[in-house]
Amino acid sequence: MSMRTLLLVGSRLVQVVPVLVLATLAIFGLLQLVPGDPAAVIAGETATAERIAQIRQMLGLDLPVWQQYLHWLSGAVRGDLSTSLITGVPVLEEVLRRLPNTLLIVFMALALSVAIGVPLGILAATNVDGRIDRLVTSTASLGVAVPNFWMGMILVGFFALGLGWFPTTGAASLTQEPLRALHHATLPACALALSGIAEITRQLRSALIDVLSSQYVRTLHAKGLPQSKILWRHGLKNVSLTLLTVVGLVFNRTLGATVAIEAVFAIPGTGSLVVASATNKDFPVVQGVVFVLVLIVIACNLLIDLLYAALDPRMSRR
Amino acid sequence: MTGPAPQPMIAAEEVGIHFPVGRGRVLKAVDGVSLAVMKGETFGVIGESGSGKTTLGRAMVCLEKPSAGRIRHAGTDPYALSSRELRRHRRQYQIVFQDPNAALNPRMSIIDSIREPMDVAAELPRAEREERARALMERVGLSPDFARRYPHELSGGQKQRVCIARVLTLRPSVIVCDEAVSALDVSIQADILNLLAELQQEFGLTYVFITHNLGVVAHVSDRIAVMYLGRIVELGRTEDVIERPVHPYTEALLSAEPVALPADLRPNKRIVLEGELPSPVSPPSGCRFRTRCRFVQPLCAEQEPPWRESGAGHWSACHFAGELHLMSNAELHPHRNVAERQP
Amino acid sequence: MSATVQQASRRKRRSRLRTWLAGDRRAAISLSFLLLLGSLSLLAGVIAPYSPVAQSMDILAPPSAAHWLGTDDLGRDVFSRLLHGGPMTLYASFLAVSVGLAIGLPIGVLAGYLGGWVDTGVGRIIDTMLSFPSIVLAIAVTGALGIGLTNSMIAVGIVFSPGIARLIRVQTMIVKGDLFVDAARTFGSSTWRVIFRHILPNAIQPVIVQVTLLLATALLAEASLSFLGLGVQPPQPSWGQMLARAYTYMEIAPEQMYAPGLAILFTALAFNALGESLRALLDPTRSRND
Repeated sequence: MSMRTLLLVGSRLVQVVPVLVLATLAIFGLLQLVPGDPAAVIAGETATAERIAQIRQMLGLDLPVWQQYLHWLSGAVRGDLSTSLITGVPVLEEVLRRLPNTLLIVFMALALSVAIGVPLGILAATNVDGRIDRLVTSTASLGVAVPNFWMGMILVGFFALGLGWFPTTGAASLTQEPLRALHHATLPACALALSGIAEITRQLRSALIDVLSSQYVRTLHAKGLPQSKILWRHGLKNVSLTLLTVVGLVFNRTLGATVAIEAVFAIPGTGSLVVASATNKDFPVVQGVVFVLVLIVIACNLLIDLLYAALDPRMSRR
Repeated sequence: MTGPAPQPMIAAEEVGIHFPVGRGRVLKAVDGVSLAVMKGETFGVIGESGSGKTTLGRAMVCLEKPSAGRIRHAGTDPYALSSRELRRHRRQYQIVFQDPNAALNPRMSIIDSIREPMDVAAELPRAEREERARALMERVGLSPDFARRYPHELSGGQKQRVCIARVLTLRPSVIVCDEAVSALDVSIQADILNLLAELQQEFGLTYVFITHNLGVVAHVSDRIAVMYLGRIVELGRTEDVIERPVHPYTEALLSAEPVALPADLRPNKRIVLEGELPSPVSPPSGCRFRTRCRFVQPLCAEQEPPWRESGAGHWSACHFAGELHLMSNAELHPHRNVAERQP
Repeated sequence: MSATVQQASRRKRRSRLRTWLAGDRRAAISLSFLLLLGSLSLLAGVIAPYSPVAQSMDILAPPSAAHWLGTDDLGRDVFSRLLHGGPMTLYASFLAVSVGLAIGLPIGVLAGYLGGWVDTGVGRIIDTMLSFPSIVLAIAVTGALGIGLTNSMIAVGIVFSPGIARLIRVQTMIVKGDLFVDAARTFGSSTWRVIFRHILPNAIQPVIVQVTLLLATALLAEASLSFLGLGVQPPQPSWGQMLARAYTYMEIAPEQMYAPGLAILFTALAFNALGESLRALLDPTRSRND
């Protein structure tokens, strides 16, 4: 690594710090949104006074707010995200146990989105206002409007219940049974990929149209360069930055959207964990899941930022 | 002079207006400017684009806060007022902008725009505001049919009339005209200038006329200040500055003025300014004009020229003021009669 | 006289609406669909053949003359539930977007107008909030506020607010530099007057487009959250919650999942199409000739 790259990585890492601090504040602040006495709400209506007091002490709710925050933060930094109020299992352990199931379908969906969205976007952009373009764009607007969990249900009905090609529910460990894990993940990833495909297709199409209609590319045309060469050499090189940005956006959305998909396919991932713990008012778990997911998104944004700088040297000077 | 001197309507005291331009550098758009605008006069400010004249004009109506020095309005420092008092006070000091299109809110009808200053003041009953707005529309030569129209339906000249009517609703004492006619067609420029001259008589207005066009400023002004790179280089009565310029930059401006004459009658004594206008972020040392001056001496780079009076009320900042042989307007343009100022 | 002028301007506005809809068939269809949905929602109590919560012994019946869309697992009429789900869904979408506007608009306008450290701070907070996966954050906030349709939609609105704030902040910064804002200041206008009379009317257009698109997002979020049991609580019907029930009995009565799903799809599609059409209509790069 050159000095310049090191400096760049260093400056980006420093920029991440305030975002991290604000994120922890927001996650900690979730508990402040609970109306009334959080301890009583968490304990439930039938709880005894002892139980409420016990919860209050366990969550440190008897301390001033800033002390609670520092306490929570110092724990989080050391990897201690407290324990579940219901199962008593350490939160980080539970989240990390479920995370692979979630990440498997998210990354599979992301790969599908890129693999299908990019060719579709190119196809549409090179046939602007033609029949293919109109077909692709209207399918894409459909893809943005379809509720993904409903798509999941339809896929289950057709491919799992009807044809029996895929299992209806559950997940398997990628490290222990990789083939079964992929088999299980296929339908959820497909349902999840739908909006990603649509988003990438739309954004890539409009970015490509902008580049291809620019003065610079029209000059290349006039010079007699063949269309395919222009597309590969100039068009795609110029839109690769747009694509990178969109992929980052789609990753963030997919990570959120997986929640409903996990419910449809009964996948024991972080999504189903956050729903169950929000329903049961198991706040340490809710905070833990949100914290880990935000860390993943921030890391992903950082990676995209660095890739951006590597692809576009002009950016790195800023 | 006997008795106390009358308070100037606007007095600038060593005014500096600085903008940060990144990396700790500062652009001094206006740098140590002092001047006084007296009641009832038309005070011209002339300079190239980038001379800081527009920034100075904005400072005169409290749109820019001086970073150094002070602006006084008839003795009052507007920034010493409370924000409520300032809002009341500044109605006396109005500005007409260069681009009438940008100066009107595109989503407000013409009559709403004209009435707005009175709506803000909220001193008159509603019906009276409407009446005054309509009367002023007529006074500036706009048909009442325009009242309910929107800015994009009007021509540039008509929009500038709207802007003039709008500032008049407040019965201000001073109006700063910032290139108020330069965006308009030449034929309309004269109409607007005549309108402004009539209104000055009628309402007893004091004008500050900011322009890059010497023809305009000589035509309407009683006194002229010449600006270069944020500084005033020459200031005096219009006839003095034009007929007996003391600063080489003024001479260059006079010669650069386009003249409506056939080519064979045009003066051959044109003095061409060499080089570009230096960056105001890092102005030349000593005299700022030295990089383009045809009389430049070693002294000019070493010392800032002093601000000196060379005739009655005729000031300039040149080390060699009065020693140079500068050409006057008459010599530069022998075929033209300069004494065509309106009374 | 001013009455006739007002009439003229109203007529002009109406003719502009007509030109827009005549030129964009998709927008016209979407608007008609949404108006139909709106009136059906208002009249749901009158039109619906059954009460949405009335149970019967006719469980999971296929579509018939008596029950156009069949019955659910408790013998309730699916068509009536679909009709009564409409107002729930629309209420939820508008609530979420309103909360988003109520938080995002003032913050974004103030940050853009004041600039300086306020803007820097707000910008940082917005960036941070946008790095939260939105549905997960909405679920977490719902958990804290308490489960239910209104709370879950307030949560969705909170999640929307940074995006709205960012959009209006940029617009405010652009409009703030316009000369008519300077002019208003020289008249002695207060900051509030400048913001409400001059900045907001000229900065709001992209937000209107965004709001239309967000209505679709809110609709999908409501469906997801109700599907997950965090939104509408039984026995109240909502389309997402109907899907959740239909899912349980999918092996026995798979046709139950089509009607609510299509209702969500078409409504989201209509909001999106309307938003895209508005975007094209208000695009500043297109010349305005009215």
